[in-house]
Amino acid sequence: MSRLARFLFLLVLFTTLSTDSVRAAESDGEDNTIDILDKLSNHYYLDFKPFAKVELPRILLTDSGVLFFSSTTSAINSDSGLIDLHYLDNEVRFKGNGLIEPVTYKLVHADGRHVKMDLSVSSHLVWMWVAGFLTIFLFARLNKRYRAGIGRTSEPKGSFQNIFESLVIFIRDDIALANIGKDKYMKFTPYLLSVFFLILFMNLFGLAPWGVTPTADVSVTVVLALCTFFITQFNGTKDYWKHVLAMPGVPKFMLVIITPVEILGLFTKPFALCVRLFANMAAGKMLIYSIIGLIFLFADMFGTYVGLGSSVIWISFNLFIYALKLFAAFLQAYIFTMFSALFIGMAVEDHSHHGEAAHVIHESH
Amino acid sequence: MEELANFAHLAAGIGAAITLLGAGFGIGMIGKSAMDATARQPEASGDIRTSMIISAGLIEGATFFALAICIILAFK
Repeated sequence: MSRLARFLFLLVLFTTLSTDSVRAAESDGEDNTIDILDKLSNHYYLDFKPFAKVELPRILLTDSGVLFFSSTTSAINSDSGLIDLHYLDNEVRFKGNGLIEPVTYKLVHADGRHVKMDLSVSSHLVWMWVAGFLTIFLFARLNKRYRAGIGRTSEPKGSFQNIFESLVIFIRDDIALANIGKDKYMKFTPYLLSVFFLILFMNLFGLAPWGVTPTADVSVTVVLALCTFFITQFNGTKDYWKHVLAMPGVPKFMLVIITPVEILGLFTKPFALCVRLFANMAAGKMLIYSIIGLIFLFADMFGTYVGLGSSVIWISFNLFIYALKLFAAFLQAYIFTMFSALFIGMAVEDHSHHGEAAHVIHESH
Repeated sequence: MEELANFAHLAAGIGAAITLLGAGFGIGMIGKSAMDATARQPEASGDIRTSMIISAGLIEGATFFALAICIILAFK
C-alpha cells in the first residue's frame, strides 16, 4: 500500500517536472486572483460559493431617517436614491430593465455623499450571533440536565454532557479558582465560561466550510476585550486603585514615573488581549490562503502541471496548518479566558494580609 | 517612489524574520525552562504549564505588534 503511494507520488512528481513548459492558458490574472484580505474582511452577504449568495439586511441612517432594506439589491433598486459605490465611480447606472446587481456592496447617495451611519447586518455579525445562540442553547440544555439531577446525584450521561462538564470544570477550577481566589471566583465564573465558549465557537466557525471567523475581525475582539476591561475596573478594590494611582512604599518623586506607567498599563492589558486574539485568528486564515495561493504561483511560474503536482505537497502542508488552527482555536479561547481571569484576579485581590510584607520588600530595595 | 515601495516590501520581510527570530528564541527559552522544571518536580507540572502559557502569551502579544507593523509595510 505504502509502496503504491510512493510510486504514485514519484509519478506525479516526474510528470510535472517533464512538462514544465506548459503555461496556463488564462494568464490574464485579474479575475483569477485570490484576494486574501477580501476573504478576511467583513461582507454584507453570506457566501455559499457554488450554490448561493445570501444577501443580508441593510440598516442605514441617512438624511431621510433610518432606512431598512431586506438586501443590498433591494436597496439599490428601490427609489431611496442609494447606489453602489461601483456605479458612482464608473458613471454607469442602468435602471428599468431588470435588477441592478451590487458590486462593492458599499452604499452611497446618488450624488456621491456618504450615508450618515451604516448599521447593516454583516457576515461576521451573523456568525457571532450563531455562536452566541449556540452558547445559550448549550448551557440551557446542560442546565436542564443538572436541574433534573443527572450529573449531581448520578453520573453524567452521554458524550455531550461529559465533554462539556469536563470543559466547564476545567474553567471553574483551573482558570477561575486558580487566578481569582476562592472568596470571589464564583462571581466571575459565568463571565469566563460564556466568553470561553463564545470565542471557541467563533474560532471554530472559521474552520467549517463557508464559515467566516468573527474573531479575525478587530472590532469583535475589541468589544470582547472592553468587556474584560470594564469588569476589571468596576470590581477593582480600594487596594487595587491605591496601587495604580500611588504605589505604596515607593518614594514620592518616583511616583511621577510610576503612576503614568500604571495608568497606561490599565489600557495596554486589554489592548494586548484584543490584538492577540485578532492577530492569531487572522494570521492562521491568511496562512491557509497563502499556501493555497502557492499552488497557483507554481502553476504560473513553471506551468500548469507543476502546479497540479505541487498541490499534493501544499494541500498536505495545509492539512497540517489546519490541525494547528484547530489547536489554536482552543488555545486562544483558553488564553483569552485565562488572561481575563488573571486581570480580574489582580483587581479583586485583597492585599490587607500580606500588604505589610510587600512594603518591606519595596523598602529593602 | 516606486523603488521606495519595493524597499517597504523588503523591510517587511526582514522585519518579520527578525521578529520570528526573537519570539522563537524567547518561547524556546520558556519551553526549555519549563521542561527542566517539570523534570525536576513532576508534581508541579500543572502550575508550570500555566505559567509557561502565560509567559508565552505575553511574548506572543509583543510579537504581534511587530508583525502588524510588517503587515502594514507589506500592504502599503
